[in-house]
Amino acid sequence: MDITTIVFWFLSALALFSAIMVITRKNPIFSVLWLIIVFFAISGHYLLLNAQFLAVVNIIVYAGAIMVLFLFVLMMMNLENLPVVNKNIWMKFLGVISGGLLLCILVSTSKSAADMNLKTIIMKEGNIGLIENLGKVLFTKYALPFEISSILFLSAMVGAVVIGKKES
Amino acid sequence: MNALILSAVWGIILMFCSILVKNKKAIGYIAAFGLLTILIGNIAETYGTQITHYNIYPMLLLDRFGLFFNTIAILSVFIFVLLSLIEIRKTGKYEPEFYTLIFFVICGITILTSYQNLLMLFLGIEILSIPLYILTGSDKKNLKSNEASLKYFLMGAFSTGIMLLGIALIYGGTGTFNLQPGTHSVVGTYHGISFLEITGLIILMCAMAFKASVAPFHFWAPDVYDGAPTPVTSFMATIVKVTAFLAFFKLCEVRVTDTLTAVNWKMIFAVMIVATLFIGNITAIFQQSVKRMLAYSSIAQAGFMMYAIFSLNDVAKEGLLYYAMAYSLATIGLFATMSKIKDYSFEGYNGLAKKQPTLAATNAIFLLSLSGIPLTAGFFAKYYMLASVIKTGSYTWLVIVGVCFATISIYYYFRLIQAMYFKTGNPDTIDHEITPFFKNMLIVVAVFIVLLGAFPQLLLNWFYF
Amino acid sequence: MNALVLCIPLLPFLGFLLVGLLRNKLSRPLIGIIASGVIGIAFILTLVIFFTHYYPANAITYFDFIKNSKYDISFSFQVDQLSTLFMLIITGVGFLIHVYSTSYMHDETPAHYARYFSYLNLFVFSMLLLVLGANYVIMFLGWEGVGICSYLLIGYWFKNNQYNYAARKAFVMNRIGDVGFLLAIFWLLARLGSVDYSIVFSNASALSTTDVTGITILLFVGAIGKSAQIPLYTWLPDAMAGPTPVSALIHAATMVTAGIYMIARSNVLYSLSPVSMDIVAVIGVATALLAASIALFQNDIKKVLAYSTVSQLGFMFVALGVGAYTTGVFHVMTHAFFKALLFLGAGSVIHAMGGEQDITKMGGLRKKIPITYWTFLIAVLAISGFPFTSGFISKDEILLAAYSHSKPLFWLTAFAAVLTAFYMFRVFMLVFLGGFRGNDEQQHHLHESPPAMTIPLIILAILAAIGGFVQLPELFGGHDYFNQFLAPVVPALSHEGENLATKEYALLGGTIVGLIIIFLFCKKWFAVNQFEGKYTGFKNVLAHKWYMDELYDAIIVNPFNNIAGFLKSIVEKSGIDGIVNGVGRFIQYSSRQVRLIQSGLVGNYILIMVLSITVLFMVFWNQDLIIAFLQKIF
Repeated sequence: MDITTIVFWFLSALALFSAIMVITRKNPIFSVLWLIIVFFAISGHYLLLNAQFLAVVNIIVYAGAIMVLFLFVLMMMNLENLPVVNKNIWMKFLGVISGGLLLCILVSTSKSAADMNLKTIIMKEGNIGLIENLGKVLFTKYALPFEISSILFLSAMVGAVVIGKKES
Repeated sequence: MNALILSAVWGIILMFCSILVKNKKAIGYIAAFGLLTILIGNIAETYGTQITHYNIYPMLLLDRFGLFFNTIAILSVFIFVLLSLIEIRKTGKYEPEFYTLIFFVICGITILTSYQNLLMLFLGIEILSIPLYILTGSDKKNLKSNEASLKYFLMGAFSTGIMLLGIALIYGGTGTFNLQPGTHSVVGTYHGISFLEITGLIILMCAMAFKASVAPFHFWAPDVYDGAPTPVTSFMATIVKVTAFLAFFKLCEVRVTDTLTAVNWKMIFAVMIVATLFIGNITAIFQQSVKRMLAYSSIAQAGFMMYAIFSLNDVAKEGLLYYAMAYSLATIGLFATMSKIKDYSFEGYNGLAKKQPTLAATNAIFLLSLSGIPLTAGFFAKYYMLASVIKTGSYTWLVIVGVCFATISIYYYFRLIQAMYFKTGNPDTIDHEITPFFKNMLIVVAVFIVLLGAFPQLLLNWFYF
Repeated sequence: MNALVLCIPLLPFLGFLLVGLLRNKLSRPLIGIIASGVIGIAFILTLVIFFTHYYPANAITYFDFIKNSKYDISFSFQVDQLSTLFMLIITGVGFLIHVYSTSYMHDETPAHYARYFSYLNLFVFSMLLLVLGANYVIMFLGWEGVGICSYLLIGYWFKNNQYNYAARKAFVMNRIGDVGFLLAIFWLLARLGSVDYSIVFSNASALSTTDVTGITILLFVGAIGKSAQIPLYTWLPDAMAGPTPVSALIHAATMVTAGIYMIARSNVLYSLSPVSMDIVAVIGVATALLAASIALFQNDIKKVLAYSTVSQLGFMFVALGVGAYTTGVFHVMTHAFFKALLFLGAGSVIHAMGGEQDITKMGGLRKKIPITYWTFLIAVLAISGFPFTSGFISKDEILLAAYSHSKPLFWLTAFAAVLTAFYMFRVFMLVFLGGFRGNDEQQHHLHESPPAMTIPLIILAILAAIGGFVQLPELFGGHDYFNQFLAPVVPALSHEGENLATKEYALLGGTIVGLIIIFLFCKKWFAVNQFEGKYTGFKNVLAHKWYMDELYDAIIVNPFNNIAGFLKSIVEKSGIDGIVNGVGRFIQYSSRQVRLIQSGLVGNYILIMVLSITVLFMVFWNQDLIIAFLQKIF
């Protein structure tokens, strides 16, 4: 068990634990903070996969920009004073059951998939996450989706303007 | 490609129109003109004329099936825009942006009708959905509209997550994003197919079912359709939904028939069909609001469109296009009329035949078509769907179920006809908006539906694949 | 030429469409001209066929009517001597009656007038289809068409409910017969795979005796309905509710003889089944006697003629039943002449009397309406069998044929012929001789009918008088023209080896003596100034038609009504309605329950969606179990 394996397990455990914390916190601010930890853990995984660029982008965009924005909004809205919606205990129970069932199915699929059993994660290798390769692929093979995603962002921007504009 | 490029360009043009064009009334006509050019561009491409020759192959493949569907969809949008000019002007203050978003949705449609790569499927679905989240909430001062928008967004995000999970699993199973599956060299699988791929496909199908409002993933639909401004509901319930079906069909056509013949997928679809027909039809019966009734009716109709995905043969392919046409036109007409009536409840329609005979008559035709009465397009639409199942040779009980639910659907459709024709009342209509142009458009649509019902070959002969 | 043949039925159909669709636009004269004109042209076209001897050996096929892998039923016409003869009768007599109607119906409003003529044209179309068809299916089309027209025309004055009941009765009775006809067609299809005459007749010998007997009996059931034989005859007297020209055309000259046509056409089949032949003959003679006995004491002029028609149809079936097919067809022709004449004459009388149909209220009309009087007299003589009139010749042949078949049959038939003479003279005396018994208003109203009515009467009278000469017995210097004409299609009964001369003279002598006796008796009893018209004892039974209608009501109609009432009030109300409404209520209930799932809470929705995904996974991995389970249930 070398150091990368230990790091891998640690990051995985951290990500899972933080994710559970995200959904169990009553205070949304704590949820957001835990979520940031999840993103850091995932960025750690990227690093292990030799994808430094993705790791950095993940931190900058998700943990940095989006989550901070979330935090600001939540703090400004001052959610503490909102009445807490008390969920039915049965609904919670059902939620755990159905989520657990889905988890069982996914786990069993992964276990039954023969191609997964034989393989372990190849760490510190691979070059897809490097800037150079990513750039090359984006401008050759995936040029069309890359271009078309501009429409997606444009429509999101138009939407943001429409929603955010002050009504006179 | 023509339609994709043109619609993106027109979307941007319309964005600038909000600054450049001072005459508010002109914007609707500019948009209509834009749609016309897209329509022409698409038809030109069908017959081999392209604006650019950009190598798109592994991502998109423009086949006749998709191009014909584009024509139908763009034509429907065109009719929708002409019928809803006034409503769109009234909904919020962002008319140019409204059209911009519609043009972007058309971009999404053109991608979804030609995608060859799951990445493109994802992009197309998102381009289709994000403008709709905003359009749903475009009536900003209306709380119902806000609520609907937020609900739609939340559930849409959830389904996007599911979809990505599915695509990731398929990637894990096959090592490629291509729609056409790669070779499966791995041993120890289920009928030669990786478990990951099967799981991923099921999850992806669930996400697609969500977009197509197929039960049990339909829950967003009634609430969102009810809360959204009427023209948006009309747009969403028809063109967008039908496009989602087409994308779903394309996915299953490749992934379910060609490679996974040994795996029987029919049961999942059968369960979805029965659930959709049951929930859509049964719930529609008890609605008091026509808008909500139509929302459930659109779920019920989705159940019928699922038959195409169930049988996945040539009849289904033709039938899906035919169904798209018949269903979209009739529903667009009904929603357009509804927006001219102030009270959306069934009582609000009482005595419409006396006050607005044209509206009542055309609406009656639309309703007859939706309930599948012969001599209307709806009859043949349903017929082709059921015929496709019969052609598969098994699951005859599914046909019987379909016929039973079609019978039940007559109840709520005829309830509206009954209100319009056999009940007395003074419906509160917005008379100054019912222009001769509007009436003539409705008549054209109704005539078209009857023509399609009388001579289905008119349209079908045109689809030679 | 084939197109010309097609024109013959199409012309009346065109007339039907024109007159029917433009009934509110056309004026009365124009309607009359169009409606009569198309029939007139059709008659001329038929004459062309008749004189050019255009009788193609094969059926003329126009298009495939019903085609599938097993059967190919084409829309084709068979033009031969038999169908040409019927076409001549239908278009010829039909034309005269159309002309007559233009005047008879002049009191109607233009729209109703047009309705009348459109029905009449449709009738002629259907009748032509019936006789022209080259297979049983086309014949059945025409068969149903004439049935519908008969229904429409009997109920022409639909404001009178009594008339509507009569129309309904006619329709139902006819339908009972039609079931037999249809079953026969199915039977033929099942055994031979075809209903074309040519194929059926050439393969008839291949059929087993059971098949032939069954098919012919079923065909005869159809004939019983259409040609008003026992037990389905009661509709015909009631059908007199329709306008008198309709009675003349449909219920005397053409439609009711469709049964005779069918059997004559199927003679090959019948000849193979002696049992069926005997049944036909027995039913024929029984009907002839029963109807003649009822006709004796009826007081409604049209009822007498109606029963007379039933009786004469019985004669025709006797002829068919003993194998003298041509004789039966010959009687159809002569009967068409004199019975149409009698009905039209009766119409003229009714017209003169201002709608009165009761002969006890008539009398002494001889002077007032001379043309009607003379033509009616000729008709009465013809139907009574006065020597050398058409009726004499045809009836003579029937009696001869019956005699050579069986003696009792002959005597019964002869007795029916005597009764015929008796009731016809009775009517004649009561109407035209003696003193007038009606009221003053009617006496003032009396007038001869206009030329449009009298000219057809005269033409028909000439035909009734001399129309039989085409088949004058050789004994009196005649030739076998008629039988020879039909010989290619319908075989005649051979009288070889029989001493015809003696029988003919005996019949001639018997007829003359009998007629004189009957004439004298009738003159004494009925050419009177006062006539009660009330009967007692057995006469009363006859006057009440042997209580047949009451009997039918008691044994068929009332039980049916009771069963229907039971089904309606018990089975329908509580059983079927309960199920239907129960389903509706269940759906409404489930609607209310299912609606509750739509709670509006996003969390719940997503929860159900996740659950659904897991359920779908279960379904996918266990579908074999599910299918097996479903198969076990159903």
